Amino acid sequence: MSLWVDKFRPKTLDDLHYHEGLSARLKSLAASGDFPHMLFYGPSGAGKKTRISCTLRQLFGSGVERLKIDQRVFLSPSKRKLEINIVQSNYHIEITPSEAGNYDRVVIQELLKEIAQTQQVDLNAKQRFKVVVINEADSLSRDAQAALRRTMEKYMSNMRIILCANSTSRLIAPIKSRCLLMRVAAPTPEEMQTVLHHVAKKLKFDLPDDASKQIVDDSGGNLRKALLVFEALKMQSPDLSGSLAIAKPDWETYCHKVADLIVQEQSPARVMEVRAKFYELLSHCIPPTIVLKTVAERVVERVDESLKADIMHWAAFYEGRMRIGNKKIYHLEAWVVKVMSLYKASFYMLTYMSTVNDHHFCHIAFCL
Amino acid sequence: MPPKSRPRVSVDAGSKQTTSRPSGKAKLMTVKLDTEPPAKKMRPLSLTTKRSERKGQNDRLWVDMYEPTTEADLAVHKRKVEDVRRWFIEAFEGGPSGKLKKYRRILALTGPAGTAKTTTVRVLSRELGFEILEWRNSMNDEYGERRSPVDNQTLFDKFQAFLERASACHNIFSSQMIKNQEPQSSQTGTPACSGSSQSQSQSKKSSGPRHIILLEDLPNILHLPTQARFRAALQSLVDNPPRDAAPIVIIVSDAGMRGEAQDERAANGFGWAKEVVDVRTVLGPAFNPVASTLMKKAIQSLITIHFSSSSGHSVQSLPREVLDIIVESSNGDIRSAIMALQFACTSASKAGKGKKRVQNDGRSNVNARLVLEAVTRREQSLVLFHLMGKVLYNKRKGDPPNANSAAKDLKRDKAIDALLREPPELPPYLQEHERRASRVDIDVLYADSPIDSSLLGLYIHQNYTQFCNDIDESAAVAEWLSWADWGGGDDPVLTNPHIFHLLTLGTLHSLPSPVARRGQLVCKPEFFDVRKREVEAADAVRDVQLWVTSKDAGLTDTTNGNLDFGSRDDVPSTSRWSQKTIATELGGWLKAMDRQRGKGVARPPPSHHLFSHLPFNSKVSSALALRDGEDEFGSLPDEDEGWAANDNSVKDVEDIVSGGWLESDDIEEVE
Repeated sequence: MSLWVDKFRPKTLDDLHYHEGLSARLKSLAASGDFPHMLFYGPSGAGKKTRISCTLRQLFGSGVERLKIDQRVFLSPSKRKLEINIVQSNYHIEITPSEAGNYDRVVIQELLKEIAQTQQVDLNAKQRFKVVVINEADSLSRDAQAALRRTMEKYMSNMRIILCANSTSRLIAPIKSRCLLMRVAAPTPEEMQTVLHHVAKKLKFDLPDDASKQIVDDSGGNLRKALLVFEALKMQSPDLSGSLAIAKPDWETYCHKVADLIVQEQSPARVMEVRAKFYELLSHCIPPTIVLKTVAERVVERVDESLKADIMHWAAFYEGRMRIGNKKIYHLEAWVVKVMSLYKASFYMLTYMSTVNDHHFCHIAFCL
Repeated sequence: MPPKSRPRVSVDAGSKQTTSRPSGKAKLMTVKLDTEPPAKKMRPLSLTTKRSERKGQNDRLWVDMYEPTTEADLAVHKRKVEDVRRWFIEAFEGGPSGKLKKYRRILALTGPAGTAKTTTVRVLSRELGFEILEWRNSMNDEYGERRSPVDNQTLFDKFQAFLERASACHNIFSSQMIKNQEPQSSQTGTPACSGSSQSQSQSKKSSGPRHIILLEDLPNILHLPTQARFRAALQSLVDNPPRDAAPIVIIVSDAGMRGEAQDERAANGFGWAKEVVDVRTVLGPAFNPVASTLMKKAIQSLITIHFSSSSGHSVQSLPREVLDIIVESSNGDIRSAIMALQFACTSASKAGKGKKRVQNDGRSNVNARLVLEAVTRREQSLVLFHLMGKVLYNKRKGDPPNANSAAKDLKRDKAIDALLREPPELPPYLQEHERRASRVDIDVLYADSPIDSSLLGLYIHQNYTQFCNDIDESAAVAEWLSWADWGGGDDPVLTNPHIFHLLTLGTLHSLPSPVARRGQLVCKPEFFDVRKREVEAADAVRDVQLWVTSKDAGLTDTTNGNLDFGSRDDVPSTSRWSQKTIATELGGWLKAMDRQRGKGVARPPPSHHLFSHLPFNSKVSSALALRDGEDEFGSLPDEDEGWAANDNSVKDVEDIVSGGWLESDDIEEVE
């Protein structure tokens, strides 16, 4: 059995359940014969990759689904070996350069040059160009983006690039201006419910409305997550009735508890405790950016209004440093200590204010 | 006291003798068939007898005279010797399965000078009965000037020829041995053999003629093209070794790790050997500086032997303090210690009658120290423990004296304080940055630091919280760490060359002054351990990624590492499952799959627990404390018993934890 997410993934633009306008536009673009570079962006689980593969099918026909997974080895400048998984068909190639970490530039340059310099040999191909799909484009380093920019112009005749990113803010302007931007927004709860019911219908069982509602509420607009939860729940309790306990992923619960630790006590010893937790999270491959974001959101929920802006400001600040720095833990911890320090200061300020107020009050009462 | 210059001259002469060639036996190579240590380290008896008879034993170096011949005499940790011995045995016999032989081609022994690397090999050669073929660069060959004009090969060509011939040479001898089957083999006539070799090679007949190639004197590998050729030469020997080729032992003396230049190396754990040769062939038991207890024992026994053998001699044993000074000042270098010892004995015997008087004199200690320090001085690197102490205790001028410090220390502190000038007073708006003058001299610290700035950062990061009184101080240190890391970056062009100073100064500025003493324990950074587990978890993510993609297609055929899905209806693709998504979103589903029992469901790879299971427990950090006198290089992540122990403890904790979270029957399922 396969993951439902994969099994019921729409194959063609016509199969897609939501964003019909977008689908129509993609369809006409694919038919026009003048296909541009594209940048798909939107929150995760909104269906960017699905739309990309549907577009590819529209462009090249079902031949694009004859896939081959290759593992390619690149050499970094310091002769370290980088292993990258490449998915390709005769007409396109998909890469996730961020798997190469800081050396994504090497991967981008070598691969693109290689593809760009070979012409499409299949005479039956519908298009004269090949498509390169670059996943997680927003985590490309500046270097890699710069390398990409030149290639996009130079090899326009035999190659098109489709970028896939969560947000455009981390892409440099020259790249954005060379692409047609396609925003894939998260589906609305109703649209998600439609999809869930569609899946249930295909599997020939009934999905109770309150169950689907619960799943959708929990997923936060992430359809992939919703489907995964749906499948896991179905495995747990086949009839999907009664109260469903949707468990959060371990790491999320963990992050929330870390946030509680931060708010409970502010001391150097507590910093050590929090650090051990961060180390634990990092050693489970949870990306530090996500850790920081999740913890920060939880901390913000629990502190005084006056501190919220500051806490988020510093989270953004240290997240920026983390991108450039090597040792993520320094920045995570610097943020934690900063928050602790802010929190403590404000706490003292509040108690001080309240004692002053009390004093005033007594004074006034006394005068009266 | 004898005049300082005289003994020095004798030491110089001695050291010259040790380094210079005894004869022009071989410009290209020295093939020594006897197990006697080669002349580089020890002049053969025959050469010295005449002079030593005349002049007594004084002009022979004790290092050579008393070179250990058995393992018991070695001042090396038993485990290290055992490692090397096992390697040799596996290299010759191929280990239990007989297959290890091909992976035991090159052994790199690393460690600071004077840690008995070469001696270990020689002792083992005696014990296991193999012969050592040694390469020497012929640059400073006495006969170099008389070299025939035809001989204009580059040094490296010769080296390569040596490597080839060294392997070939083995074949000739062994075939001869086997063919002749008689004790008196013809190779006694080989010019490379010294007279004494005959009996040696005979005695070794039984164990078979084994060789190793010893590379101590390496070609100039700092020159990149040479390094590339060196690498290629070794690689070719590794990849297609001649039949029964001799294993190669490379000995690298680290000249102390210091400063910025070693960043990469320190991070890699063990030296350039890793870069030069394929990792799988290199075993790198890094030799640590000789521990003072071992050294004391060795020296003690040396003295006993020396004075019992020269019983006619009137020299008395040295006073205990002098020994201590020798051991202390040698910095873990046993060669230098023995040199110093010999010198001390020589000077003492020269002083002759005055000995008693000097001993009673309180100054003897000071004098001896001065002299010995002058003799044994070498660039000393600060022990990591002290470096961390200096940074983290943040001592400043006018600190209240420590209650339990000795009067001597107090005096020394005062002397330091007298030399320090208070910094100029800051304007009112900068009052918060006002600090007293620091007793720490950053430049000295930088010059003597045994670790590079990135490791320093990790150490500070691991330990700073214990030294802070409140959260604001912690915030300042953390900010400095973050800033330095951010300013550094991975790009060598962007790397800030002042990170070490910035980190140290920043930490000193941020820490309270004086730091409260609470029995803080300086710990080794957990970073590497975490990093290791992260890499393992990343592998697990990759496993799951492949599994998610391929399980449905039902393809077990991964012959070329390529998965061809053909034209199926439902074709998954890896790229739809990015590693990030798998790590963050697939956990719940994987757990549900685990709970799904039987029913012929395909199981996810069991390794997914490495990232999907993250129970919240109150595990306190498992960092190991760094102790005084501990060697600083052992604290690097690799191959240290301390780390192994640490790993185990972590694993234990994890085992317990995961046991709590899994149903007991699940664990069997995981298989």
